[in-house]
Amino acid sequence: MDEALVADEVRKTYGGRKARRAARTGDDASRSGGTVALDGVSLSVAAGEVFGLIGPNGAGKTTLVRALTGTTTIDGGSVRVLGSEPTAVDPARIGLLPQSFSPPGRLTARELVSYYAGLYDEARDPDEVLADVGLAGAADTWYEKLSGGQQRRTCVGIALVNDPEVLFLDEPTTGIDPAGRRSLWSLLSDLAAGGTTVFLTSHSMDEVERLSDRVGLLADGRLVAVGTPNGLIAEHGGKSRLVVRTPAGEEAARAAVDAGFAAEASADELVLRGVSPTDIGEAVAALDAAGVGYDSLAWTQPSLEDVYLSLTGETFEDGPRRRAAPAGGAR
Amino acid sequence: MTATRRIAAEFRAAWFSFLRRRTAVFFTFFFPAILVVIFGVLVETQPTGGGLFAEPPGYYIAGYLAVVVLFTPLSRVGSEIARHRDGNRFEKLATTPLRRWEWLLGQTLVNAVVIGLAGLLLLGLIVLVTGASVPASPDLLLLVPFVALAVALFCGLGAVIGRVADSQDGVIAASNAIALPLLFLSETFVTPDLLPAWFRPALSLSPLTYFARGVRAVTYPPAAGGDAAAFNLAVLAALAALLFLAGAFAIPRTD
Repeated sequence: MDEALVADEVRKTYGGRKARRAARTGDDASRSGGTVALDGVSLSVAAGEVFGLIGPNGAGKTTLVRALTGTTTIDGGSVRVLGSEPTAVDPARIGLLPQSFSPPGRLTARELVSYYAGLYDEARDPDEVLADVGLAGAADTWYEKLSGGQQRRTCVGIALVNDPEVLFLDEPTTGIDPAGRRSLWSLLSDLAAGGTTVFLTSHSMDEVERLSDRVGLLADGRLVAVGTPNGLIAEHGGKSRLVVRTPAGEEAARAAVDAGFAAEASADELVLRGVSPTDIGEAVAALDAAGVGYDSLAWTQPSLEDVYLSLTGETFEDGPRRRAAPAGGAR
Repeated sequence: MTATRRIAAEFRAAWFSFLRRRTAVFFTFFFPAILVVIFGVLVETQPTGGGLFAEPPGYYIAGYLAVVVLFTPLSRVGSEIARHRDGNRFEKLATTPLRRWEWLLGQTLVNAVVIGLAGLLLLGLIVLVTGASVPASPDLLLLVPFVALAVALFCGLGAVIGRVADSQDGVIAASNAIALPLLFLSETFVTPDLLPAWFRPALSLSPLTYFARGVRAVTYPPAAGGDAAAFNLAVLAALAALLFLAGAFAIPRTD
């Protein structure tokens, strides 16, 4: 399969001249006051593939999109888009929705889409594009008067107006309500099915997991993992878990550990890891036998969010957890 | 043909975007009107011939027109660039076929139309309230290229300011800091004989001087030589081309 996007050892540093010079010569730019945004990122995206990029704020996702679209200069490495340098590729073949994009004001959704359509020799019918993003009924509303979600959908429509072969979407569903997100997911799935290559960044793990053929995790400017969503979850997502809502944290954890489960307790929650569906009854019986009351039980499989938390080292700030494990090892 | 299509799209969007900002439209036309009222009516020439406005009213027509061709493009294009940068619009435009000079030309055309209309209003008001007379000759049509070229020149300078200033506030402050000295040191309202002799050669460094001299040659011939309009138009055209190109080059393409 042809490669639509190739990044090879891409480096990018923000900062003064000294830092940029250090970055270009391969020295430590941070010593010169620079901020390393991309530190030797290599990846390739096949034509027709949907590639999702996740990572914490400041990880370098937007910088990588800019490097791939030629809207930033890189300090090292190389980028190819559809076989050419990003700035040499025919702009009619690519579409971009930048992060925090705000189009010119005091124009209606239709006028905005028509404006961007007018920049291409051949473009889609603006009304058709607006219908695709679910804004046919708001086409004559000024952009400022649209809701946050409608504004973002207008921006997605703008990125689609030239019917691009490669579509870059930097956090496309930020601010869009659940129904709007699902409608956009459906649209992006249709585009991918039609052969459009999609490079997507997002903080929504379910969005990336649902849409992407492959996912890359960027942290501190480095691509720390790449793979299919299922592959990444199997490798880094950890085990399935049983979450018990209970105020008897430590007492419940002891009971679970005595029954041979690996347990983590917090103020109002007990998490048993590595619990298969057939183990649920045994875990519940152990809690009952210890007289531990609980409000609810939820069994979950590992997800992309677990991969993200595992690889970035980030945790939810919901109070301290106490870990306990059975002497004989966790199940 | 494709460049024409892109410039037309840019012009349309910028035109409607401006026209629907009622406050901006109002003050764009109110500005020249209040200028004429203040300088043409309230600040009167003294009976002895002295005072701030010692020349006949016709002398100052060039100055009034200089105000609108100078301030409006500088602040409008500079602010537009700051707004575009804040909204990541240049990042988007860099991935479209629109070229930087096409964007600037679209903005320049909008400014030329707006300032052309403001200039007409200004001329009418000057004749009406200051008693100045404008000679009705074919040469008067030269005002069109003079205004268009000056608008292009200051749109280019506005783009450079927009690139250098890091915010809309910065653009306004920088525009004022550049425009005010230019306005008073370009043979507009302050005649050269009011300035020290050693400073007078510096007047030739201001592009607005050639606009003022050329427009004055058309609107107040007694103050100009025979071929002053053509010469100043040529100089203004060269400077406009230079600054327009500098402005187009200054428009951000990357972060």
